Amino acid sequence: MTDGDEIFKQFKEHSVAEFFKKNQQMLGFSGKVRSLTTVVHEFVTNSIDACEEAGILPDIAVNLEELGEEHYRLTVQDNGPGIPKTHVGKALGQMLAGTKFHRYIQQRGQQGIGASGCCMFSYLTTGKPTRAISRYKGTSYELEVLIDFKTNKPLLNMLSESPTEEHGLTVISEYKGVSHEQSNKGIFEYLRRTALANPHATITFTDPKSGRMVLPRSTEVIPPKPFEIKPHPLGISAHDLLEAAHHFSEYRKLSALLQNAFSRVSAGKVAELRQVVPDVDFDKNPSKLTWEEAEKVVKGFGQVKWIAPATDSLVPIGREQIENSFRNIFSPELVVVTERSPKVYKGGIPFIVEAGIAYGGGIASAGKQGEIMRFANKVPLLFDTSGCAITETVKSVDWKRYDLKNFDEEPIAVLVNLASVHIPYTGAGKQAVAGEEEVEAEIRFAVMEAARTIQRYLSGKRHAHDIANKKKLVERYVEQLSSDLADLSGSKKDRILKKLTQIIEEKYAAEPSEEEIPIESEDKKPKAKEPETEGDE
Amino acid sequence: MAEKVTIRKLEDMGSRMVDEIERGDGPTFETVLRTKSNTIYDEGIGCLRTGDKKEQRKFLSMAQAKTFMQTVSIAAKTRRFVKEDLHTSIRGLFYQLKFSLGEDLDEDLFSEQSESNALIEDLEVALGIKREDLNLTTDRKGFVAGPMIIKDKFGGDETTIDCTKQGRSGWSIPSDVDNGMELKEVDADYVLVVEKDALWQRLNEDKFWKKENCLVVTPKGQSTRGTRRLLRKLADKKLPIYCLMDCDAWGWYIYWTIKTGSMNLAYLGRDFSVPEARFIGVTMKDIRDYDFLQKLTIKAKEVDIKRAEEMLGYPWINRHPEWVKELKEVLKTKKKIEQDALQGQRLTFVGEYINQKIKKKDWLP
Repeated sequence: MTDGDEIFKQFKEHSVAEFFKKNQQMLGFSGKVRSLTTVVHEFVTNSIDACEEAGILPDIAVNLEELGEEHYRLTVQDNGPGIPKTHVGKALGQMLAGTKFHRYIQQRGQQGIGASGCCMFSYLTTGKPTRAISRYKGTSYELEVLIDFKTNKPLLNMLSESPTEEHGLTVISEYKGVSHEQSNKGIFEYLRRTALANPHATITFTDPKSGRMVLPRSTEVIPPKPFEIKPHPLGISAHDLLEAAHHFSEYRKLSALLQNAFSRVSAGKVAELRQVVPDVDFDKNPSKLTWEEAEKVVKGFGQVKWIAPATDSLVPIGREQIENSFRNIFSPELVVVTERSPKVYKGGIPFIVEAGIAYGGGIASAGKQGEIMRFANKVPLLFDTSGCAITETVKSVDWKRYDLKNFDEEPIAVLVNLASVHIPYTGAGKQAVAGEEEVEAEIRFAVMEAARTIQRYLSGKRHAHDIANKKKLVERYVEQLSSDLADLSGSKKDRILKKLTQIIEEKYAAEPSEEEIPIESEDKKPKAKEPETEGDE
Repeated sequence: MAEKVTIRKLEDMGSRMVDEIERGDGPTFETVLRTKSNTIYDEGIGCLRTGDKKEQRKFLSMAQAKTFMQTVSIAAKTRRFVKEDLHTSIRGLFYQLKFSLGEDLDEDLFSEQSESNALIEDLEVALGIKREDLNLTTDRKGFVAGPMIIKDKFGGDETTIDCTKQGRSGWSIPSDVDNGMELKEVDADYVLVVEKDALWQRLNEDKFWKKENCLVVTPKGQSTRGTRRLLRKLADKKLPIYCLMDCDAWGWYIYWTIKTGSMNLAYLGRDFSVPEARFIGVTMKDIRDYDFLQKLTIKAKEVDIKRAEEMLGYPWINRHPEWVKELKEVLKTKKKIEQDALQGQRLTFVGEYINQKIKKKDWLP
């Protein structure tokens, strides 16, 4: 188990609480259903990330109580390492102070606004502080957390402290003006998809409507830890560069910042940059860097040939894991999962696409028809469906070619997970993926590859079904025909019946398949660029 | 014996199928295609009949399995009827065969009578026999009066029927005039077929058949198979067949069915048609010839006009210039006339009219 202290060393402070208070929608707090799902998302992803980093199989319990009309109390409890007392304020009561901000790593939450944002949202709607119980290194303490919006500092009220053998974090918060429903955008669906993408987690959900529902883990194997890599120059924006300058204040020169904060930037590459961007002083203090200069540097990044970023930092869910969790959660008739090899988009950002198709069986009984389950780094995306490249791409597949006449009415669920150190979200809400050409091509290939197997299965099944039907139809008349023929010819009925049955068995067993399986050639489609493999660091 | 031939044909069909099964093949039988395209007019005989196109019925075919089984069931069932010398209607057969195929099968052997009709036709064609041979009866409709003596073996008894002694009702033509029926004595000079029962009753009351020494027959509208078969047999005895119908669509249709057979039952061929038949009236010429008739015409309806146009297109009709002329006149004048109009002047005029028409050979072919 990793020492929790390691994680919390990297807290950075930011004074943005006031800004987010005014721009709640940026955090996903818009819409009554969405707001509640967002809250659950923030706490649950934090819990899974914490468990994963500490090497613990996550056991997460989400409990929703209805306190009044559009008034709920949410309790999220995990068995992670817990939070040390010194960091709990930053974790829950300070905006942009998360453990993950400024770390270039493929994780579920990419910004640290989540949990604190929820506490803020809770306070704004109910006037109440968020209560946390942390069981960390033998001590359990309970406290209340608020955010001072003016200073973006946490206000803590310590309630109790006692020794414990357990570890983990419990966060209890209340919300008003939100609603809970069992829709495709509701909490249960969110948790179900989270479980789908995190087969090593057991998630329990208790709500006022359905009671307790358990989504048990289907594997005991904790996914490999994604290791941290520095951002690649091709994946960052002017804004990222300025933020890096702000956070890595120890570097006095821009050239030093670039070489230390980003990957693949050597002294030689800085020299090349100086050539390409002559009007920027690479020796200036990074804290003095202006927006215009940052833009020029980023533009310069595009003109220099870089070694591609390492792709081994990508952690997909895994073919077997997706198959298992589909079976575990939906018990479909058939599951097909394809995993593509790593590719890059925007000339340098590595990503991997995984696609899984589950057909029939429990998919039908779960009422799922033509369902597209979108994931970014294993996090389910429930909102902004129509604006998402995953949705668009999956819908653009000519499903009729795969014997799925009407995609929206078939008992089918298509899972697409995009794993990348930098997901190209369309907006701050992080619910939709932008249409990067290479990413779309990969999604398309992955889905089509899986669809071909489904098609083969369906056509075989239909053919077998047809034959069986034909046989059945003929068989039901055999008895009568044999008896009439015996009557007419004077032969023994039993012999005619036996012979005739034998003829039918042979005929319908030997009939070959007439269906051809259309194979869609990938060559006709635009190819995603292969990552340059000049070598690794 | 006709019954023995029928039984042999039915049993042979079964044996052939069993042979096929023994060889490891699915059972089949061959029948003649009964479609409009395989219906031809046989100029030599002067009747409609089916062409040579054959069709194979297979048990091992999704589409045919059930009807195949049903056809064989009918064959087995009717073989017993013939063997036991019992007759029943198609409806009776339908009820004989309307049983469940098995306890676990939610399906009857037959569920609709209409299912069995086409299959009986299949059997008739495939085996070259008539449904009457299978002891399947049809509804009776026609009547006869006149000098004809019939021997009728039925229900174990043999009865002699004198058609001059049937009073006002006449002898009712049975559905089967072949099996167990014998036209013992036919002492008439010709046969008169009148479309309507009303006119038949009029002529019967006048003892027209006695005066003219003829047989007066009414099919009461469209002829049944039994009536057509009887007319065929009488024509075979060299009796001229004269028909008196309405001068309208329905009358023409009844006449042409007697003469050449119908498209629907073309497979019956010569045995059910009377190419020798003549149409003595009522004709468009009669309207000109008999003044009083001119006032008794009716405006032709659309169906009459359409029918006349259709008839002009049939090769077995337009080969007769007399009929072409007749029909063209109908189309031109748009008039029609019923046979009942002949009673318009005097009730007994009809007899005189018929007599004159036959004597003057004033008829349409």
